[in-house]
Amino acid sequence: PPAPLGFTDVSLNSRNTYEVSRRRSAPEHLPHGGTAPAEPAPPSQEPAERARHRVGIAGAGSSFAEFFTRNFFTKRTKELKPAVQSAPGWKLFGKVPPRENLPKDSKIIQQEYEARTGRMYKPPPPSARRKNIEFEPLSTTALILEDRPANLPAKSVEEALRHRQEYDEMVAEAKKREIKEAHKRKKIMRERFKQEENIASAMVIWVNEILPNWEGMRATRRVRELWWQGLPPSVRGKVWSLAVGNELNITPELYEIFLSRAKERWKSFSETSSENDMEDAGTSVADREASLELIKLDISRTFPSLYIFQKGGPYHDLLHSVLGAYTCYRPDVGYVQGMSFIAAVLILNLEEADAFIAFANLLNKPCQLAFFRVDHSMMLKYFAAFEVFFEENLPKLFLHFKSYSLTPDIYLIDWIFTLYSKSLPLDLACRVWDVFCRDGEEFLFRTGLGILRLYEDILLQMDFIHIAQFLTKLPEDITSEKLFSCIAAIQMQNSNKKWAQVFASLMKDNKEGDKNHSPAPKS
Amino acid sequence: MGSPEEDYNFVFKVVLIGESGVGKTNLLSRFTRNEFNHDSRTTIGVEFSTRTILVGDAVVKAQIWDTAGLERYRAITSAYYRGAVGALVVFDITKHQTYDVVDRWLKELYDHAEASIVVMLVGNKTDLAQAREVPMEEAKMFADNNGLLFVETSALDSTNVEEAFETILKEIFYKVQKQKQRSSQSNTVSLASENPASTAPAQAERRPCCVAL
Repeated sequence: PPAPLGFTDVSLNSRNTYEVSRRRSAPEHLPHGGTAPAEPAPPSQEPAERARHRVGIAGAGSSFAEFFTRNFFTKRTKELKPAVQSAPGWKLFGKVPPRENLPKDSKIIQQEYEARTGRMYKPPPPSARRKNIEFEPLSTTALILEDRPANLPAKSVEEALRHRQEYDEMVAEAKKREIKEAHKRKKIMRERFKQEENIASAMVIWVNEILPNWEGMRATRRVRELWWQGLPPSVRGKVWSLAVGNELNITPELYEIFLSRAKERWKSFSETSSENDMEDAGTSVADREASLELIKLDISRTFPSLYIFQKGGPYHDLLHSVLGAYTCYRPDVGYVQGMSFIAAVLILNLEEADAFIAFANLLNKPCQLAFFRVDHSMMLKYFAAFEVFFEENLPKLFLHFKSYSLTPDIYLIDWIFTLYSKSLPLDLACRVWDVFCRDGEEFLFRTGLGILRLYEDILLQMDFIHIAQFLTKLPEDITSEKLFSCIAAIQMQNSNKKWAQVFASLMKDNKEGDKNHSPAPKS
Repeated sequence: MGSPEEDYNFVFKVVLIGESGVGKTNLLSRFTRNEFNHDSRTTIGVEFSTRTILVGDAVVKAQIWDTAGLERYRAITSAYYRGAVGALVVFDITKHQTYDVVDRWLKELYDHAEASIVVMLVGNKTDLAQAREVPMEEAKMFADNNGLLFVETSALDSTNVEEAFETILKEIFYKVQKQKQRSSQSNTVSLASENPASTAPAQAERRPCCVAL
């Protein structure tokens, strides 16, 4: 069942934040795809009815887009989590959210207990014995200071002393931990603040200096460095569009034409499909219909946790339109699974027609064309080139994978097809896209190596099935700082040859060997 | 049922195949994690899951390869059939089209997997009985005629999911046992994989008794 609209503020984030926000609003089980977290919608948002119409959404697009760019990737992500973490007993919606993953110290447990029962812990009147202890942890730890019940032999002096000492140690330890945590929190706050400032100042530079002089500045060292830091969300879509370019010269008018063609097809499809058996239809027609079916099927399976592309969600029709128009524009490629993720990310950052233009041009790049046409021999070339740099950068892990005959297709197919938007948290995927727009296909493979490097130590401990499982379902707590420092450490140089040269020589080497292999693109 | 992850006697590689959207990923998540997700994400390429079960007193680790159903991906995914000792060919009982193409899936499978692979036909989504398009008798007959195991399941309400996987794993197990006896009688060792580890990663694992049919 579709989810209503007024929840975008909580669920529009990376999977991590989404989990947290979900816990806050509905701590127990949420029905799958059912009711959305009941957070009030910000007043600026469009009512669901209006957003459902495609025409309506074009208007709503800008306010949504603004909303995203302001809140989507920056502040919200970071603000939600600490709020939950740092206020342990804080009651939200009458229930204390479960926090099973957080390390609990005894004090937090105590506070939680109080919050649940409503009882307050009343410290016993301080006895003379304990007067000098100023830090009193609210837990059973202090019990060891008590005398034994009358029916048991009393503590000896040494024992009492030892207990006292142990207790003091525990208290000191707890205090140290608290101070350390407070420092850590402060540091995180400082870093976040700095980050936001950086984004704000970067935005000014992008808007005032770079974008007006795009062609002249895009390749300068300064711009490239700034680019690596991640694009400010408010200029992200614009920069992506400019960087991807429009070789195909698609205009918004052309998009409208293909869109109306797609709509005609849907109409005739829905009229005939009920009684018509697809078996008998000619292959090309069957394929086209299968494409339409597939798009419908896949849209609900694209970022399901965001609840915005699903039926009834604000971007459902938009995603449908972009993908449908594309299958009409490029019947030779058609719809292939994985595309819905790419289109979705573009829709989150661009207006409808611009999203389509970027989508079509992006898929026209050689690497994307090879993958989406499932040109097997070309894909193998890409994997082979990847392995050249894999061996160069991570020789130990490379051998480890080799020993299990674990080939890169196992994990790269998903990563490359969806440009990491399915495998990485969304905000991180967008940062990968940023640099992908700057550096081209080579960066996709560099990112893959960065991921392998980031997890190298763990992967070296794993066998085939665990590696395969791990890489096809990456940990959700992956952070951009760590990942990007690992990507930065990957050298895309192989004995003075760069990616493009390595790839070109692989293409030349095997020109004869693969003629019988390559599946022809569908006509 | 569950025993410690790493303590197993056998590893069986099983592939899940069938059209896109028939519920392969949910069948698997129901079996391995007892989870169901209405909007699970599209599978691209292949995903993996494992679960260890007891067959008799042998500990069997199922290593399940969940493949993408999209036709265009078959060029890639068919490579993953190699070394598999079992396959679940899944269709959706509410979509006749997904049943009509079972033939093609089987051909694809037999083209790339060992001939002795144990295959089970699975009609999924029995919870949507009111929308049924494929009669159970029809599918059952097809399975019988083609030497396939057959079961109808619902990953959503859990019906028969456990049974489906257990049945096929048991069947594989007995087949392996039989072959073991045969090979020890004839004094030939044919339990090693025909192709080296590359095609059957299951064999490359740490301690398992190697299995290839």
